[in-house]
Amino acid sequence: MAAPNPNLPQRPPDQQILAAAVAFARSLRSYGMAASVDSELVFIRTLTELDLRDRRQLYWAAHATFVHNPDERPVFDSIFERFWEGQELDLSARAAEHGEDDARMVGPAQGGEALPQFRQEGKEQKPALDGAPAKATRDINSPEGDDGASNDQRGILAAYSPAEQESAKEKLEYGDDELAAVRRLGEDIKRAAPRRRSRRTRPDRGGDRLDIRRTVRNCLETDGEALRLAYTSPRERPRRLLFLCDVSGSMERYSRVVLGSLKAIVSANSKAEAFVFATKLTRLTKALDGRDLDRALEKARGSVSDWSGGTRIGSAFEEFNHTYGRRGFARGAIVMVVSDGWDRGDPAVLTAEVRRLQLQAWRLVWINPRPMLVDQQPLAIGMRAAMPYIDDFVPGHDPRAIAGLAPLVGGLGKQRPRRKLASGEQLTVRPLPIHGNVQKPKDRPLPANQWPSAANY
Amino acid sequence: MPGFDTIDALRGGLTRERYLVDEGLATVVFLALRLKKPLLVEGEPGVGKTELAKTLAAATGAPLIRLQCYEGIDVHHALYDWDYPRQLLQLRAGGSAPLYSMEFLVRRPLLEALEQPGAVLLIDELDRADDEFEAFLLEFLSDFQVTIPEVGVITAKEPPTVIITSNRTRDLHEALKRRCLYHWIDHPGLKREVAIARARLPQVGERLAAQVCAFVQDLRWLDLYRSPGVGETLDWAEAFHVLGRDKIDSATADRTLGTLLKERDDLERVRQQGLDARIQQAEELAVKLQTHGGPDGRP
Repeated sequence: MAAPNPNLPQRPPDQQILAAAVAFARSLRSYGMAASVDSELVFIRTLTELDLRDRRQLYWAAHATFVHNPDERPVFDSIFERFWEGQELDLSARAAEHGEDDARMVGPAQGGEALPQFRQEGKEQKPALDGAPAKATRDINSPEGDDGASNDQRGILAAYSPAEQESAKEKLEYGDDELAAVRRLGEDIKRAAPRRRSRRTRPDRGGDRLDIRRTVRNCLETDGEALRLAYTSPRERPRRLLFLCDVSGSMERYSRVVLGSLKAIVSANSKAEAFVFATKLTRLTKALDGRDLDRALEKARGSVSDWSGGTRIGSAFEEFNHTYGRRGFARGAIVMVVSDGWDRGDPAVLTAEVRRLQLQAWRLVWINPRPMLVDQQPLAIGMRAAMPYIDDFVPGHDPRAIAGLAPLVGGLGKQRPRRKLASGEQLTVRPLPIHGNVQKPKDRPLPANQWPSAANY
Repeated sequence: MPGFDTIDALRGGLTRERYLVDEGLATVVFLALRLKKPLLVEGEPGVGKTELAKTLAAATGAPLIRLQCYEGIDVHHALYDWDYPRQLLQLRAGGSAPLYSMEFLVRRPLLEALEQPGAVLLIDELDRADDEFEAFLLEFLSDFQVTIPEVGVITAKEPPTVIITSNRTRDLHEALKRRCLYHWIDHPGLKREVAIARARLPQVGERLAAQVCAFVQDLRWLDLYRSPGVGETLDWAEAFHVLGRDKIDSATADRTLGTLLKERDDLERVRQQGLDARIQQAEELAVKLQTHGGPDGRP
């Protein structure tokens, strides 16, 4: 099998072809594809097996060696197309430069609008939904009649007071206090890391399963008498955390903070996945999984083109369910939606998709960073549509609810939510139980009847 | 194991086993065989990823060894284990054979694949296994050898042909992908799907096959939650055949739709839009297909 293909003219790949192959790999790299040297070598090996006059064979060989992911195909195709365009394999040395600085080719990092709040010239940008709701937010009193932001023990999302909003919006960088707050929540959730039972086992003297392998080993010392029995118990692994964050205009004030938190969590938890959505869905996990927050933000800006568009939560969820969801991203995961529920799409779509999301998720937590707009019912139709299918609802304007989030998440890993999901049945949403000893003992939880609930919608 | 000297020969070999491949897949499988590289195939459920390995084994006359991955799979399920009852007996009987020798080794799929010359090894749904297992596979896939501490290094005399499938529930490591050739299998086009149906279900008439495939192809544009794969197409065509129909009719289609669509929402949606219009469209398309050149198995 290892012998060269006898049906082809015998020849090593000559210099020209080698040069072309190397140059091709280089142009792939210059457009952001991970064309490793390994792949390059394999590609060159394939050339000895193929009929190089047949461009399609060449295409499939290059495809098999350099493309590792269906998402890379469009980029690959266009590079391939340009590279071998109109040229049989007599590529000149010119090929080495070809494509590398071809301004006509849009690399994967290019494209997409800048996020409005990152745009330097973006002061004038006025998101359609921002005016009135932001005002309403300010006018709302918290249950204690006091603004949550003035509380000493502020929650992460409350770190954004309306006063800060005006100036912060124009800045690209995080403020110091924001960064601190972001880190704190990231730390909280990281430490709270929910676990699940793995199917792997570990040696455990108090375990309940006999470890025959080790028992037999022990027998060696005792002439075959099983004097010492070895036991195992299941290991625990981190449970997947899946974030779906609304970054539309109606939540612009929170978007940056949320992104920062996401970054902290994604880099700490290998099982975390982060998506943002407004009118469409964007996966940010990889962009966020770097060292540098600013770079991650830059990347996020490049990949979110609809930062300030309207929200269509339903269709964003639909997109998730149809693509990532179908591939199992939400299976067994603790799904956290961060959104104010301002949906400009069809509520029926949202209901259907949230239900589907819940069915896949281990637990569906919805964090709403906005105070409940009890008087403005029509504005939160989306929230109402989603409510029946949420396992835990967290009103994010309340610092204590946010403080309770991390312990909640930590405890969720092994505890199945109690759901009654017979078709058509309405669920009563239990407000998030606040753990009494979250931070300060005197900070007692609100009585359940003061919590916003589905009825408020 | 008979080799295939050209891509067309390979294609012919697979076709004889009733597995129709397009040019891209044929090229990649050919290269995988020639270069002795593992082949990683991904694609929507039901496009025939697993079937590819089975067919390849049949076509080359090689034994197929299958390793189904799942969460928590480890060396003792994938590679080897010790035969504990026999070891214990040996100990009690005071035998002299060393306990940790090949004699007491239980071979699991990976080890079997190394020991059987020219086997086709199918590592199915690798994305279900956890990261640690993937890391373990790296040594196996690059050198086709494994190390058993008590016995030593076992190397393949003739490396197996390795087909790895994944449903992309998570990203596989770059390191693993680098060691493999990669191919994404798409749903086949109408002509090829009809050809597949005809090849797999010779008992089903051409008209029925064409109608069923036309119907399914159209459904795939609907952006359903779970698009029907080729497997479902075949099931549905067979369902009509078993019920004694030689063309699609709306009553039977309605009753058997569950072979095709496995999500309640999808079923409701398709039913609400009305089956009759779809069936009529599929009939017209099938007629067109039959008059303008029959399916030849090529896209």
